[in-house]
Amino acid sequence: MGFFEQIIVIIQRYYPYFLDGVKNTLIIAAMSVVLGVVFGTLMAVMRMCRIKPLRWLATAYIEFIRGTPLMVQLMFIFYGLPMVGIEFPDVSFIPNFSRFMAGIVAMSMNSCAYVAEVIRSGIQAVDEGQMEAARSIGFKYGESMRLVILPQAIKNILPALGNEFVTVIKESSIVSVIGISDLMYGTSGVIALTYRSLPCLAIAACMYFILTFLSSRLIALLEKRMKHGR
Amino acid sequence: MEGNIIIQVKNLCKNFGSLHVLNDISAEFKEKQVVSIIGPSGGGKSTFLRCLNLLEMPTSGHVIFNGTDLCSKNVDINKERQKIGMVFQHFNLFNNMNVMKNLTVAPKRINGKSQEEAEEMAITFLKRMGLEDKVSSYPSQLSGGQKQRIAIVRSLMMEPDLMLFDEPTSALDPEMIGEVLDVIKQLALDGMTMLIVTHEMRFAREVSDRILFLDGGRIDEDRSADEFFDDPHSPRLISFLQKVL
Ligand SMILES: Nc1ncnc2c1ncn2[C@@H]1O[C@H](COP(=O)(O)OP(=O)(O)OP(=O)(O)O)[C@@H](O)[C@H]1O
Ligand SMILES: [Mg+2]
Repeated sequence: MGFFEQIIVIIQRYYPYFLDGVKNTLIIAAMSVVLGVVFGTLMAVMRMCRIKPLRWLATAYIEFIRGTPLMVQLMFIFYGLPMVGIEFPDVSFIPNFSRFMAGIVAMSMNSCAYVAEVIRSGIQAVDEGQMEAARSIGFKYGESMRLVILPQAIKNILPALGNEFVTVIKESSIVSVIGISDLMYGTSGVIALTYRSLPCLAIAACMYFILTFLSSRLIALLEKRMKHGR
Repeated sequence: MEGNIIIQVKNLCKNFGSLHVLNDISAEFKEKQVVSIIGPSGGGKSTFLRCLNLLEMPTSGHVIFNGTDLCSKNVDINKERQKIGMVFQHFNLFNNMNVMKNLTVAPKRINGKSQEEAEEMAITFLKRMGLEDKVSSYPSQLSGGQKQRIAIVRSLMMEPDLMLFDEPTSALDPEMIGEVLDVIKQLALDGMTMLIVTHEMRFAREVSDRILFLDGGRIDEDRSADEFFDDPHSPRLISFLQKVL
């Protein structure tokens, strides 16, 4: 049987494994990015605020997360959280809920650091003169931010957040090592059943590519919309 | 021209770390006076101007605007800044707003003007400058000269008591310098109080009542416009003038 025939047969027999994996991968990526954006925004605010200890804390967190492998962070959360008494309950209708949560927590803690940097650099990329002009005309700091800086920063931030989503889709494949049934996990399952690793990996690669390609197209579309609406 | 003192600077010092940019500057500026500030690059002209509306916090000394010491703790600086217009070298129009929004956002939000009131005022200014067809343009669609004139109008919309200009024509193509200088000259005729940092010597002489030479963080010469050029005292000013004239 040729390579492509193998692929077709595997898809015909085992597609539920892959589809289930895709679903979970998307859930994990979406949850992680949403939480990452919420906490990343907070982290960015801390990073830029006037209170030194907060700034220091945020900087340390961001540098540490960006300077250590996601794999280590994931393991740390997965084994570490139960040890300090934080355990996610098993929920009957979502199998493996506690594993799932550990994965999402680790991924969002990771994403949060990157998002914080995206937001900070998006804000700092706005010309300083904009803030000076707003302040010199009599606007308070907060008003200047809201009326002048953020509307400009958002144009730098959104595309980068889109990239972050694409990155998270890919990086999330790592959660399979703690037994979360994402796309990579499903793929390993099919490999174990069929002993046909290359065709299975090819299918997985294609599916990841379709996910990231569709997401980035979608984001590009959104960006275009934004540009027209200024 | 005798008038009330509108802004008084007392023993103003500004350091950036160990760099002493302004060294004990004292000066008074009167209502309706037009004063130009001239000096070599890095002499502290911008810093001086920015200390007047506290965009830079003075290290020590006082800036007394209409009788209020801006450096004292309990001053609402945002309120004071509304009466001090500032025009920047790089215009700094709000890039996310069209011309009309640029002009009306502050009068509406800060002065509580109604939409109609603010727009009417903006249109009047724009017509005077021949820019009324630009109301819905965004800054990126304007020439440098147009941007700067809009920026001047934006300040005027707040009906300021004092206008600060930091090299308003330095970022402009030569053919656009004239249109901006003409606007400033017109303001001078209308009796606006202005402090202008500029490298345009002829313009300075023409428009100013008084010219300061700022070098090394000190006011080295403070004279009427004609005396400044015809009878300079400070040796540094003399050599500066030799270089630029
Ligand atoms: N925010 C800052 N931090 C550190 N140093 C600064 C800052 N702003 C200005 N300086 C320094 O202060 C000195 C005076 O700067 P300033 O911009 O006031 O000069 P200037 O007279 O306006 O010069 P130019 O004609 O080039 O605009 C310079 O040596 C400059 O490098
Ligand atoms: Mg300067």
